Amino acid sequence: MSKRASLVAFIVAVVIQILILVAVPARKVFTMATGKTVVLKVQPVDPYSILSGYYATLRFDISRIDAFPNARGMSQGFPDGAWFYAIVEKGDEGTWKPISLEHELPADLPDNRAALLGRINHGAIRYGIEEFYIPEAQRHRIAEDLSRNVDKARVEIKVDRSGHTALDRLRIEDRIYE
Amino acid sequence: MTPNQNMSTKFRGALRNELAIWIQKGIVTEETATQLSTAYELDNLRHESTRLLSAVIFTIGGLLLGGGLISFVAANWEGIPTPIKLALLFSALLGLHTVGFWLWHSKNWRRLGHALIFCGCLVFGANIGLVAQIFHISSNWYGGFGVWALGSLVMAWAVRSWIIGVLVLSTSFIWFVGFQSDQEQLASSYPLILAISLLPLAWIICSRVLHAGTLLGIIMAACVLAGYQGSGRQLLFTMAAGGMFMWTLGEFHRASEWRTEFGNITGGLGLGLLAVTAYVWSFHYLWDQLVFGPMRSLWAFLFFSLSIAFSLLMWARGRQGQALLTAGVLLAGGILCASSLLSGASANTSNGEFLFTVTTNLAALILAAIIIGVGLLDERRLAFWLGSLYLVLLILSRFLEYETSLLAKSVAFLACGVTVIIAGISYEKYLRRKAAGLEAHKEEVGYE
Repeated sequence: MSKRASLVAFIVAVVIQILILVAVPARKVFTMATGKTVVLKVQPVDPYSILSGYYATLRFDISRIDAFPNARGMSQGFPDGAWFYAIVEKGDEGTWKPISLEHELPADLPDNRAALLGRINHGAIRYGIEEFYIPEAQRHRIAEDLSRNVDKARVEIKVDRSGHTALDRLRIEDRIYE
Repeated sequence: MTPNQNMSTKFRGALRNELAIWIQKGIVTEETATQLSTAYELDNLRHESTRLLSAVIFTIGGLLLGGGLISFVAANWEGIPTPIKLALLFSALLGLHTVGFWLWHSKNWRRLGHALIFCGCLVFGANIGLVAQIFHISSNWYGGFGVWALGSLVMAWAVRSWIIGVLVLSTSFIWFVGFQSDQEQLASSYPLILAISLLPLAWIICSRVLHAGTLLGIIMAACVLAGYQGSGRQLLFTMAAGGMFMWTLGEFHRASEWRTEFGNITGGLGLGLLAVTAYVWSFHYLWDQLVFGPMRSLWAFLFFSLSIAFSLLMWARGRQGQALLTAGVLLAGGILCASSLLSGASANTSNGEFLFTVTTNLAALILAAIIIGVGLLDERRLAFWLGSLYLVLLILSRFLEYETSLLAKSVAFLACGVTVIIAGISYEKYLRRKAAGLEAHKEEVGYE
């Protein structure tokens, strides 16, 4: 390969690597910038092993299929990998509650409702907001706070018009972790 | 003219020393010696000896540098605002790549430049993980490895790097293992993608490690697919056919003019894979537990067909030297494949397990004889010793597997130990006799 061709190939490779790095968070950045804020109550999965590595594993009311009243009547079932829109509604306490599961994105949702795109995974619904990365220094403090005050733990997420979600921050009473 | 790639540095070093003596003795003229020296690039030998060491040192240095940069950023994670974090990650990536390329092409520091670009690809992978952390991206655990492999593959081709190719092989294989558990149908094309993306690169840059590693990766991926389908006999067939394919391909490389330097490592790994396969399935317990699932691995049939095709090609070319060894390998591989295929038909036969335990043990014994044979014919000490140890391992495994009296076990251990020592002494004597014969021949032609 000539020197010029080597240079061109090298620049193309570096640009592709940069584009990949930009593409990884692109969807989340877009959702964070344009999405509606939704607050979800956190469910404890296993209080003794809530941290795995440097992230906390989170589960929500809306992670359970049976939390949606219309789930039992859905004839096609919930096979692994199937996509659904989880419709949630803002409750009195400020947290959002499960309303229904839909196969299609609803056209007109009122301001107090939002549609979250989720996928069935081993009998639960995953939205891509289940892992909250924690700075090393705060790891033990957050783990302890979560296990002691799990009823008061909330996560703030953003939901864009197409149902994609992005985890914004974790809130336990007035303590905010980003 | 460049030296034949099969000629080792050791051979060229010996040739350089011999040339001086040959000129003195009048065996070759100074003009011929100069021609030989040019043909085998003997003047470059001094530089070459330090190249490997420098490549290793630079690569380790690059790894430490990359690790240091990532740890520095991670250690100060909390105190750094997100835009600065991203700027640091992108700067580290661009800096390593740019400096590496500049050193390689403008300053002629080829190995250091190569090591820095390799380090840049490691930093690229770490950056994927760190970016995912910054934005709390939760995805399949293997997804990051897939994009890491993709970005590194482009760089491996751009700078023609074997070590970045090996990085692509490793990261893409990790991605494949995760992906195939979710998307089995789509994942079944992974061995083909691996072959298309890395084998031509290995061929162009003449990298034995990347070539053999990619072939092994293709076969291992086919084995993962076969094993995941829940059929033990399909896994056996895939491993045996894969081993036969690598051996015959290696022999084909050795016999033909196409990349003869790929021959030894490819054939050796193929033989090793066959030996491991035969040993694992030589246990009666495994045949007892074997799941008689469907035989639908297209890859296994492809490996088998290719090994037959390469054998026929070698036969057509009239290669005689290794014919016995190749016939032996095909026989052992054939026994393993036939055991796998026939085990399905005899699923309801009570003595089927016993029969196939015997056939796989027979295949293992043939392979042990072949490995020892390679050691004797090619005078390769390592092959001889590995073959002997493999044979001993087989015998001892049988004695430990089946209920035998302590006395019988003791006799077996003693017999194996004594046989290995006697065989070793005989082999070393054989090598010494051969060396002494060569010296005597040299003296006859007037060489001191």
